[in-house]
Amino acid sequence: MIRFENVTKVYDQKARPALDSINLEIDRGEFAFLVGASGSGKSTFLRLVLKEDRASSGAVYVAGQNVANISSWRVPRLRRGIGVVFQDFRLLPQKSVFANVAFAMQVIGKSRSVIRDTVPEVLKTVGLEGKENRLPHELSGGEQQRVAIARAVVNRPGILLADEPTGNLDPTTSMGIMGVLDKINQNGTTVVMATHDDDIVNEMRKRVVELKNGVIIRDEARALYTSMIPVVGQSRRLRDASGRTEQPAASSRAEARADAPAELRTAGEGQA
Amino acid sequence: MRLAFVLSEIGSGLRRNLSMVISVILVTFVSLTFVGAAGMLQLQINQMKGYWYDKVQVAIFLCSDGSTAPGCATGPATREQEDNLRKLLQSPAVAQYVNDFQYESKTDAYKHFKEQFANSPIVDSVTPDQLPASFRINMKDPEKYEIISETFSSQAGVETVIDQRQLLERLFSAMNAASLVAVSIAGVMIICAILLIATTIRLSAFSRRRETGIMRLVGASKMVIQLPFILEGVIAAVIGAALASGTLWAVAHFFLGGVMSKQYPDTAFISPGQTLMLAPALIGLGVVLAGVSSLLTLRRYLRV
Ligand SMILES: Nc1ncnc2c1ncn2[C@@H]1O[C@H](COP(=O)(O)OP(=O)(O)O)[C@@H](O)[C@H]1O
Ligand SMILES: [Mg+2]
Repeated sequence: MIRFENVTKVYDQKARPALDSINLEIDRGEFAFLVGASGSGKSTFLRLVLKEDRASSGAVYVAGQNVANISSWRVPRLRRGIGVVFQDFRLLPQKSVFANVAFAMQVIGKSRSVIRDTVPEVLKTVGLEGKENRLPHELSGGEQQRVAIARAVVNRPGILLADEPTGNLDPTTSMGIMGVLDKINQNGTTVVMATHDDDIVNEMRKRVVELKNGVIIRDEARALYTSMIPVVGQSRRLRDASGRTEQPAASSRAEARADAPAELRTAGEGQA
Repeated sequence: MRLAFVLSEIGSGLRRNLSMVISVILVTFVSLTFVGAAGMLQLQINQMKGYWYDKVQVAIFLCSDGSTAPGCATGPATREQEDNLRKLLQSPAVAQYVNDFQYESKTDAYKHFKEQFANSPIVDSVTPDQLPASFRINMKDPEKYEIISETFSSQAGVETVIDQRQLLERLFSAMNAASLVAVSIAGVMIICAILLIATTIRLSAFSRRRETGIMRLVGASKMVIQLPFILEGVIAAVIGAALASGTLWAVAHFFLGGVMSKQYPDTAFISPGQTLMLAPALIGLGVVLAGVSSLLTLRRYLRV
C-alpha cells in the first residue's frame, strides 16, 4: 500500500537529511507505528506519503503509484484515498460535529443525501452518536479527536495517517482513540500512526518502525515501543530481525511493559 | 451540492471581509468611472463629428460696423460687394469645389444667435447690427479650405474667412486631451484596484487557512478551493463596474440631457442609452481585473 524506495528528504542543505535512504513497505490492511524521538522524521514520512513535500531522492509509492508521477491536478485524487489525523484535531470551530464531518464530503462534491446517510454512520463508528449538533468547544479532547478521525475516514480512504493523534490526550482517552483506530483498521484501512507514546505502542502490539535521525533503526512486527533485540544499523537486516521477534516470548513480556518500560529497555540491552 | 457549497463559501468570505470588499467595490467603481468617462468623451466626439461635419464648413464673414480688417476699409459690406462675392462663388474656378452655399443676413444671424443663447441674458445686449452677415459654404472636399480662404480673404467687403471645422477640431482635441487625462487617472486607479484586490484575497485566504488546509487534506480540487476567493473579488469588481455604469448613465441623463442640452440646444449630446453600451465593457474589464489579480495572488498564497 505504501512503499519507500531509498527515500531521502533534505529540507536544509546544511543540516542532516530529515529522512535518509529509507526503504520500507507497509502492506494493505496493516497497522504500523512510526516511533522515534521528536525530530526523527516521522512527520516528514507522512508528508511524503501525502505528496505535501517531494522526496529529494528515491521513490514513494502509494497504492502502487509513484507519487512523483502524479500531476498536480491529480494530487487531490491521491489525497481522497488517504485520511489524515493530527495532534491538534484541526476542527472548524464554528461548525457542528456533523458539519465538520460533512465538510470533507461537501468539498469533494458528494450529494446532500449521501452525506445525510454517511455522516451519522461514521459518527457511530467513532462513538459520537447523539453529539452531532455539538460545537467543537463543547467536546472533550478525546471527542474532538474522534470527530477528526470521523472526518478523515468519512470518504472511505484506503489509508489513514495519524500524526501523534494522542499527543494532547490523557492515557485513558488515548486508549479510547486507539480502539477507534483499531476498529477502522479491522474494516480494512491501512493505518500508519506516528507517535512517541510508549504505553499505547506497548498495549497495541502492532508493527513498530523506529526512526532515529531520519534512519530506520528497527522494524518489528507485534513489537513494543522499545527494542527487545540488538540495535543494528541497516534497515534491510532489521527486516530479517523482525521475523525473529514474532515469537511467543514477546507476548509474555507484554504484561510487564506498561508499568516498567525502563526495565524492559534494560532487558532488551541485556539480551544484547 | 458543490455549487451550493461554493456559493455559501463566497457568502461567508464576503461577510468576513466586509470592509475590504467595500473598498474593492469603491476603488473599482472610481477607476471604471474614469475609464467610462474617457469612453463617453470619445462617443461624444464621434457624435459631434457626425453631426457637424456636414453642416458647418467654411464661413465668409462680411464687414460690419466695427470691422478693422484691410478689406473693410470702406466700412460695412455693401450690396454691390455682396453681389460680387456671390458671382465669384458661382464662377467655375470656385464652384468646382463647392456643393452649395447660403447667404446668412444680419437678421438671420441674429435669429440664430437668439435661438442658440435662448436662456442667456447676453441676447438682450446684442442687436442685429453687431452681428456680421456671412456666406456659409458647404465644400465638396473640406480639405480644400485653403483655396476658398486665399480667394476670398483679400476681396473687398470680406472681414475674415473661417474654417469652422478647424474650430471644431480645436474643441475635439481639447476633448481628446480630457479623455487622455481620464484614462491616465483610470490607469493609476486600476493599479490601486489590482493591489487592493490582491490584498483582500490574501487576507481572505489567510483568515480561511484552516478551512483551505482541511480542504486540501481531504482532496478537494484546486477549483473548489480557489473559486470562492476568485469569485469574491470578481463579485466585488462587478458591483463596482455596475455602480460606474450607473454613474455614467446618470451623467448622461441628468447633466448632458438635462442641463447641457438646454444650454447648447444645437449640440447633439450622447444619449443615456449610448452610455449604457459602455456598461458591458466596464463590467468585462472589472471581471478581468479581479480575476487576473486574484489568480496571481492565489498562486502565491494559497498552495493547493
Ligand atoms: N518544513 C521544514 N523545513 C526545514 N526543516 C524541517 C521541516 N520540517 C521538518 N524539518 C526538520 O526535519 C527533521 C524531521 O522533522 P519531523 O519529520 O517533523 O520529525 P518528527 O515528526 O519525528 O518530530 C527535523 O530535524 C526538523 O527540524
Ligand atoms: Mg512530528
